[in-house]
Amino acid sequence: MQLSTKHLLGIRDLQPVDIQLILDTATQFKEVLQRPIKKVPTLRDVTIVNLFYENSTRTRISFELAEKRLSADTINFTASGSSAAKGETLLDTVNNILSMKVDMVVMRHSASGAPHFLAKHIPAAIVNAGDGINEHPTQALLDAFSIREALGELAGKKVAIIGDIMHSRVALSNIWLLKKMGAEVTIAGPPTLIPVHLTEAFDVRVEYNLRNALEWCDVANILRIQLERQNQPLFSSLREYSLAYGVNKRLLDSLSKEIVIMHPGPINRGVELDSDAADSKQSIILHQVENGVAVRMAVLYLLAGGTQ
Amino acid sequence: MTILIEKASIVDRNSPHHGTIRDILVEDGRITAIGTDLTMPADKTVRHPGLHVSPGWVDVFSHFCDPGYEFKETLETGAAAAAAGGYTDVFVIPNTKPVVDSKSQVEYIRRKAATLPVRVWPVGAVTRGLEGKDLAEMYDMRHSGAVAFSDGLQPVQAAGLLLKGLQYVKAFDGVIIQIPDDRTVGANGLMNEGVISTRLGLPGKPMMAEELMVARDIKLARYTGSRLHFTGVTSPRSLEYIRRAKESGLAVSCSVTPYHLYFTDADLTDYDTNLKVYPPLRDSPTVQTLRHAVLEGVVDAIASHHLPHEFDSKVVEFEYAKPGMSSLETAYAVLCTALPGLSADRAVQLLSVGPRELFGLDQPSIAEGKEAVLTFFDPAGKTQVSLSASKSKNNPFLGRTLEGQVLGILNGTHLHLNQPEQ
Repeated sequence: MQLSTKHLLGIRDLQPVDIQLILDTATQFKEVLQRPIKKVPTLRDVTIVNLFYENSTRTRISFELAEKRLSADTINFTASGSSAAKGETLLDTVNNILSMKVDMVVMRHSASGAPHFLAKHIPAAIVNAGDGINEHPTQALLDAFSIREALGELAGKKVAIIGDIMHSRVALSNIWLLKKMGAEVTIAGPPTLIPVHLTEAFDVRVEYNLRNALEWCDVANILRIQLERQNQPLFSSLREYSLAYGVNKRLLDSLSKEIVIMHPGPINRGVELDSDAADSKQSIILHQVENGVAVRMAVLYLLAGGTQ
Repeated sequence: MTILIEKASIVDRNSPHHGTIRDILVEDGRITAIGTDLTMPADKTVRHPGLHVSPGWVDVFSHFCDPGYEFKETLETGAAAAAAGGYTDVFVIPNTKPVVDSKSQVEYIRRKAATLPVRVWPVGAVTRGLEGKDLAEMYDMRHSGAVAFSDGLQPVQAAGLLLKGLQYVKAFDGVIIQIPDDRTVGANGLMNEGVISTRLGLPGKPMMAEELMVARDIKLARYTGSRLHFTGVTSPRSLEYIRRAKESGLAVSCSVTPYHLYFTDADLTDYDTNLKVYPPLRDSPTVQTLRHAVLEGVVDAIASHHLPHEFDSKVVEFEYAKPGMSSLETAYAVLCTALPGLSADRAVQLLSVGPRELFGLDQPSIAEGKEAVLTFFDPAGKTQVSLSASKSKNNPFLGRTLEGQVLGILNGTHLHLNQPEQ
């Protein structure tokens, strides 16, 4: 089995069989990661560049670990302190790196569509590690992997995505993936943070009341308030946001059933998620991080032309 | 010099020869004879199967980037693009460096364009430096030859300021041109806000941003009684507001671009930066309504919104790409391709008669004794898009074949033919 795409630009371009293949492959890699020797020779002699035009801790480390566990050679590039800071264009930077015989590009970029632009101009396989407010496909895949692990399967499951949807690439990738895999999705948050055409664009419910959304769902994926991406005030204060949309243990305990809590990180503790909920046994936040490595190994392996 | 135009279908409601096929003889820039089978010897002959001739076309919103951005376009290359697109007259917007906000800038363009094959009409800035703060010296610019006033790609935002501007130009019968856009709505928008923008993860600009400005500016035009032209209109609601304003007797008019009639926001699925335009491409139902409005309704003119950009401004991430298209050369063919039902008569109304009337230009009719200001075209011809004239190639039609064909222009003694004469 092989993926139907050459790049992983977004979940938008994937078929359900691709998603299934990545998740199944990740299951095998997760098993590898439990062994005493976690390294496999699969991508030996493959060189991967991690291009991070935007800050990242979790995703960058997770990709780098995945690459190292697969024995790939990795180079890291961050925009600050590089030629990009001197005004070099994205295409120039990438072509320069590729001329040194690099096989794959993992890129995070603040502009939506940046990896799609790159894909039109360079021959190497590209993995989107987050582009603007568009997609973060490996996050959605690891979220799906984690939901599958916690609840058995995705089809028919009720997932609430809560918070800043407007500025969230995690939300968009999750919506694409969950809808493709037959899950039900409700979006919850303040109207200023939810795109106006969301229900038209995707078959999702929109709920402005947090409790209703939580009561409805099996899994709540609570998103980070993207303070850095808002150039207009979209709510009056963090305090008020927390009052209306903050999830805490007391609220979770008052629901009629126990739901699973997820968060892509980094958490604004006390804003969208209180510590008592984030660190509770309902939370699978650290599993998500752990699964991220296995899922990224699967993606890199499959894009490098590997078969199961 | 004598030029013989053979067997041309004359499209000119102001001419006694409208609707007929005639030979036209032009001597030293003036039409001296119109008839059948003219046999005078001529220095040059214009001959083409399906040849149509109309009064010269006018574009009311082009960017020639000169001075300041000569690496995108110059007055010379812009004029060549205009001639190739069938235009004898072009209004150039003041988004230059320095901005055309004073008499000396207007005179620079007038002087430099004096010998060009097309007439270049400077549009003066409404506000100094296009900053939207203080009124520019519009009186002085008008008397130096500014044809109209606009802040071009930075439409005037403050109502109070535009009110003063509209009042100010009234004294000398000036017209203000606005791209209607309330920039506080969808301030970061990179494309039309809708289903497609949501799916592409691109920040959207709702069509309402346009409608708010149209509604507001019409109120200002009503209060001041001044002349106001909206260009790049896309919204059916805007058109409705404009229609009602006209019915109530206001001097409000509008133009649309050919590309807004051709593309929809769904064409952006591949993040094609050549389709990043301002105002943004709209959704399919909106484009359908707009097409209908151009064929039959309230639209007064076609404006090319020629915005040339060099390679590096377009071959970048979508967010960083500059908006606009190098569109003068393809305007007519795109219009014909988007509107298969467009008659030659209506096309000439939108490309020549309409804009000339709105901005007080001469109506050069095709009659003996008149100056020859002519566009040659063939509605049934085809255009293989190659963009040979403009300095910039940011045009999504490059390499495509479009309906309708521009054959050339005759502007007084300047003859330009897209194909070598036979």
